[in-house]
Amino acid sequence: MSLDQVWALSYNSKTIDILRNSKYAIPLIQSVHLLGITMLLGSLVILSLRLLGLGLKEFSMRTLVAQVWRWGLWGLGITVGSGLLVFIPDPSRYAANTAFRLKMVLLVGAVLYQFVLFRKAVRSETAERPSRRNAIIAGLALTLWFMVGWAGRAIGFLG
Amino acid sequence: MPFQAQLQVWFHWLQNTPFATNIRQADLLFPLIEGTHILALSFSVGLIVMLDLRLLSLAFRGEAVSKVMHQVMPWALPGFAVMFVSGIVLFITQAEKAYSNTFFRFKILFLILAGLNALFYQLKFYPHMKEWDTAPSVPGGARLTAGLSLFLWVAIIALGRTMAYEL
Repeated sequence: MSLDQVWALSYNSKTIDILRNSKYAIPLIQSVHLLGITMLLGSLVILSLRLLGLGLKEFSMRTLVAQVWRWGLWGLGITVGSGLLVFIPDPSRYAANTAFRLKMVLLVGAVLYQFVLFRKAVRSETAERPSRRNAIIAGLALTLWFMVGWAGRAIGFLG
Repeated sequence: MPFQAQLQVWFHWLQNTPFATNIRQADLLFPLIEGTHILALSFSVGLIVMLDLRLLSLAFRGEAVSKVMHQVMPWALPGFAVMFVSGIVLFITQAEKAYSNTFFRFKILFLILAGLNALFYQLKFYPHMKEWDTAPSVPGGARLTAGLSLFLWVAIIALGRTMAYEL
């Protein structure tokens, strides 16, 4: 089965026509997407500022993880779910888009990075003074996720 | 000339200044500024929401409200500044279109309400914070401002995203 045949499943679907024909569906889903991003990146920013030693220093890493890690997971779930709902009604348009392709590559990298290196850094940070290694991991995590965001915003502008 | 017509003339001029035209016509500058406007949300709203959630006893329950406030503000405020400046630049590049957009008008209205809400908290509840700082439950009025703040920010984000569509 080629990708075009997979996309045809969407274009032939009467159920997905509901999303395609509704004036309000995509703006609403995009708004939810943005709220998910705010939750996901808000959680990431809080943990990263702490790892970088730049803010939230009066909270222990343990407290911060206990309070915001799950917000980040919810944010990721909401963002990916709503993102799929934007993608599915018009898959071939997105699949052909340079910014979208870049975004997907960056996204896979960011998610892997988050659950391997970043999670490890967050768990190992117990000392009062942040370790240089964890600070670098946090800085790279922020850079990577922000690049996902910028690439995402460019989808509507780049062919 | 009536005030609204005057505004329209002024926004038309603003949108056609070399500054606005250059940004609009550059391929990547506009999405880059828009991306920055959105990503700054993670610093501003992402952090301020933690204070709201604390006031509502939904997060940081064991921590003093003043501590949460003083830990998030040093980064939330610069986040707001980045959003504000990038937002002004975005507005300048499409002033006429934005001005006539209903979603944009509500966004601005809600932003003003969020500002007044924060000011109200600052004047009414902030001076007495010591009395309930570490208590598990905060005064009803302060909880109300926190709930209102959450609602307004969710609405502002949704309205900002929706104004890009022709509805």
